[in-house]
Amino acid sequence: MQEKEHVIKLLKEVKEAFKKNNTPRLKNLSNQTIHAASVSQDDLSIAIAVIVYSLSKIMERPNYRDYPKWNQFIKKFIHNIDKARDSLERNNEKMFRKHLESIERIIDELTGIFKVHIKEVFARARINKASRIYEHGISMEKTAKLLGVSLFELAEYAGKTAIPDIGLSKTLSIEDRIKYALDIFNKNTK
Amino acid sequence: MKAIVFDSGTIINFAMNGILDILKSLKSEFNGKFIITEAVKEEVIDKPLHIKKFELEALMIKKLFDDGVFELPYDIVVKKELIAKRDSLFNMLNHVFYARNEFVHIVDKGEVSSLAVSLLLKEKGIDNVLAVDERTARMLCERPENLTQLLRKKLQTSVDMKGDLSFLSKIKVIRSSELMYLAYKKGLVKLKSPKVLDALLYASKFKGCSISFDEIEQMKKLENV
Repeated sequence: MQEKEHVIKLLKEVKEAFKKNNTPRLKNLSNQTIHAASVSQDDLSIAIAVIVYSLSKIMERPNYRDYPKWNQFIKKFIHNIDKARDSLERNNEKMFRKHLESIERIIDELTGIFKVHIKEVFARARINKASRIYEHGISMEKTAKLLGVSLFELAEYAGKTAIPDIGLSKTLSIEDRIKYALDIFNKNTK
Repeated sequence: MKAIVFDSGTIINFAMNGILDILKSLKSEFNGKFIITEAVKEEVIDKPLHIKKFELEALMIKKLFDDGVFELPYDIVVKKELIAKRDSLFNMLNHVFYARNEFVHIVDKGEVSSLAVSLLLKEKGIDNVLAVDERTARMLCERPENLTQLLRKKLQTSVDMKGDLSFLSKIKVIRSSELMYLAYKKGLVKLKSPKVLDALLYASKFKGCSISFDEIEQMKKLENV
């Protein structure tokens, strides 16, 4: 996992951003985690990135607050973030993990369309974070496995980003690559 | 003998665009083998068969596999030999880029198995190209220094490249975009419209082929589109 102090600081900042309903800040904090998670590739850093990004998306939707279980849901969500931070401060990584896992389990307690929406938010957050790690230079298959998303979903999502358009992505001229394709097709073999 | 070694992304691209028939037509024209590894088969058939959202694509790809359009490499390569090559390559490629006091694991076994098959075929004197849509494997083969720069820029930290990847430059990489271009050029696309090439190339991009807008426009210019 990333350095303990860094994660504690990050979770404090998440709480502050949540209190101020600062969703751009939450997204930024999630992205910060992705830089480190791209190298460490540990499940906890990745889980934090997904949870924080999901929180930002949930807070962006004021209509979610109309659902009967909203207060209970968001209270438990933030409570587990606080508890996860407390556990880390006490060097209890087992409890830290447990509280992070609890966040996704809260969704199972929801019902109806609200449950469907929140599940979708988390699923999309995983694809978004996978795309960010792929953007960092980690292969698509490796990234899909880290985030538990299918290659089909990731390919479709990544295809809508500017990842191939950055200069460093270009590695051969179009003429040369077409020549590879034409040559192999036109080659006569026995 | 000649072959095209397919990574998962390229097959996924044709499947999600609903144009697997183009791959079938290309195979008929090719007079060689379309090879996939077991790891790739798992990614494009076995796993998605259990995901409702992609079950149909998986079934359609399976049909191509069952019909012999795609085949495993074991007519040419011994399984044990492939596993050994894949594992050594997997270990090596994941110990090249060093950042924040550790090696960055950049590739997984599916992609590496495709690279391994391509290299083994070369060693046996069999002409082949690797069809791969994702960016990282392509950069490893063609411009690993670009990958170092990319990692530095994105990770916002220093990244060292430890190791010589020049042996990968033997691998010739094409993408689904080149295959679609070829199909268009050979008249294998049933749709008839002045927009067909444009539509195919953008469809490949939007389903994950790592091709830039500029590259697409260059390809269209070659055909005066």
